[in-house]
Amino acid sequence: MAEYTLDCLGEACPVPLMKTEKKMAELEIGDVLVVSIDHSCAMKNIPDWARKVGHNVEVEEVDDGEWEIVIEKLK
Amino acid sequence: MNEFFNKIAKNTYYKKLIKNPFTYVTGAVLLSVFQIAIFASSGNPWGVTGAFANWGAWIYELFGGSVDKWYYFSDAASQATLESGVLNNGASLQDFGIIIGAFLAVLLASQFKIKKIKSWRQVIAAVLGGLLMGYGARLAGGCNIGALFSGISSLSLSGWVFAAALFIGAFIGSKLLAKYFM
Amino acid sequence: MSEITRSSSPARKPRKKKKNQIPFGLLVLIGIVVVGILLGQKSGSLAMFWVFGCCFGYILQRSRFCFTASLRDPWISGSTAITKAVLIAFAITTIGFTAIKYGTFINSGYIPGQGYIQPVSLLTVIGGLMFGIGMVIAGGCASGTLMRVGEGFTMQMLSLVFFIAGSLWGAHDMGWWTLNFAATAPRIFLPDVFGWIGALVIQLAIIGLLYIAADKFEKKKLGITDEE
Repeated sequence: MAEYTLDCLGEACPVPLMKTEKKMAELEIGDVLVVSIDHSCAMKNIPDWARKVGHNVEVEEVDDGEWEIVIEKLK
Repeated sequence: MNEFFNKIAKNTYYKKLIKNPFTYVTGAVLLSVFQIAIFASSGNPWGVTGAFANWGAWIYELFGGSVDKWYYFSDAASQATLESGVLNNGASLQDFGIIIGAFLAVLLASQFKIKKIKSWRQVIAAVLGGLLMGYGARLAGGCNIGALFSGISSLSLSGWVFAAALFIGAFIGSKLLAKYFM
Repeated sequence: MSEITRSSSPARKPRKKKKNQIPFGLLVLIGIVVVGILLGQKSGSLAMFWVFGCCFGYILQRSRFCFTASLRDPWISGSTAITKAVLIAFAITTIGFTAIKYGTFINSGYIPGQGYIQPVSLLTVIGGLMFGIGMVIAGGCASGTLMRVGEGFTMQMLSLVFFIAGSLWGAHDMGWWTLNFAATAPRIFLPDVFGWIGALVIQLAIIGLLYIAADKFEKKKLGITDEE
């Protein structure tokens, strides 16, 4: 049950999604990944993708135009 | 005063209507309604990049260049547009509107932030991508809006051919992005 | 959905107090109205274009609508959520546009907006390939770039400058391209080929089939099984 972070601040679409996808593949089931983003499209397409694949997702707005996406790997 | 706005920020309907993103389908329906409305009222569908060529021409003229002899600007309508200037050009105003409309949306959602360029990789991507899109849009006669969305809406075969080419281009772009820009 | 338990929360940076930007938003809204009124005094159509532009920008940002993503995400993550939304938009506007075109045609004998029926030639394909590559690399097409400029992305501001430069460059070479590759290129309006009803039915059928294909593709790529 480890927690990992991924800093995607300043990255434009689709880079945050591609990096998240790659990182999630390396994680063990039950691990949590926290992705930091400030790209307004990524705050929608990353959770969308992660939920569809079947992970647990929460989005938190940490600052004006900055979000943390918390993904728990479920499968 | 500040209290008041903080109270708004916590309101359920503010969150539902102004802050949380619409679904993609809601966006699609709203864009379609406005696309049909602009066609009904102005007689032409939505276009974006046509104005960019005019902006380029105006800037070029500022530096003493002349586009009068260029084939692209040779017809009477293009000449008239160039004559009348940017503030009398509906297409340009519409493009400015897209910038301001998006600015309004982020501010009302309290999510505005200047995002600085992070690396040289992004500079190269922006320069190359911008040039390719600008040149490509002129060849195909429009962008994802003018040639694709408006083309297909107008029952034009060109819209579908453009869509197929875009889809393959996006594949090549994705591979390049994964290899050089990530 | 259950709460995610976070193990290492102490490591997290303390939150800054968020600034409320709604008042600035209201000022911008007033600004939009004032500019609209000023333009309206010059010409109603200019004011209309301005207002339409603002609405398009607002909708694009609010729904995070991105034509680039609709063509790119299937290749990257396999997600076709935006692709399907774009297809829905195509279906709605196809019906609306055809109604307006046909209605004007039977009443006054001409069809509006035919300038958007572009010639089909090698240039459509080359232009599409270039545009497709460019929009993925730059992270946004024309409308997407404008919208992101409004959101404060410096990368897209730079990309817009070169988008304009590229447009001028393309316009400069257009004479040569047209002469060599598109001199006889036909502008094909589908109702001319299949009739009004035929074109409408065929186009809607194609959109429907693409929608089904996109849905099946996504389910396969992301390993989603149908719940029945």
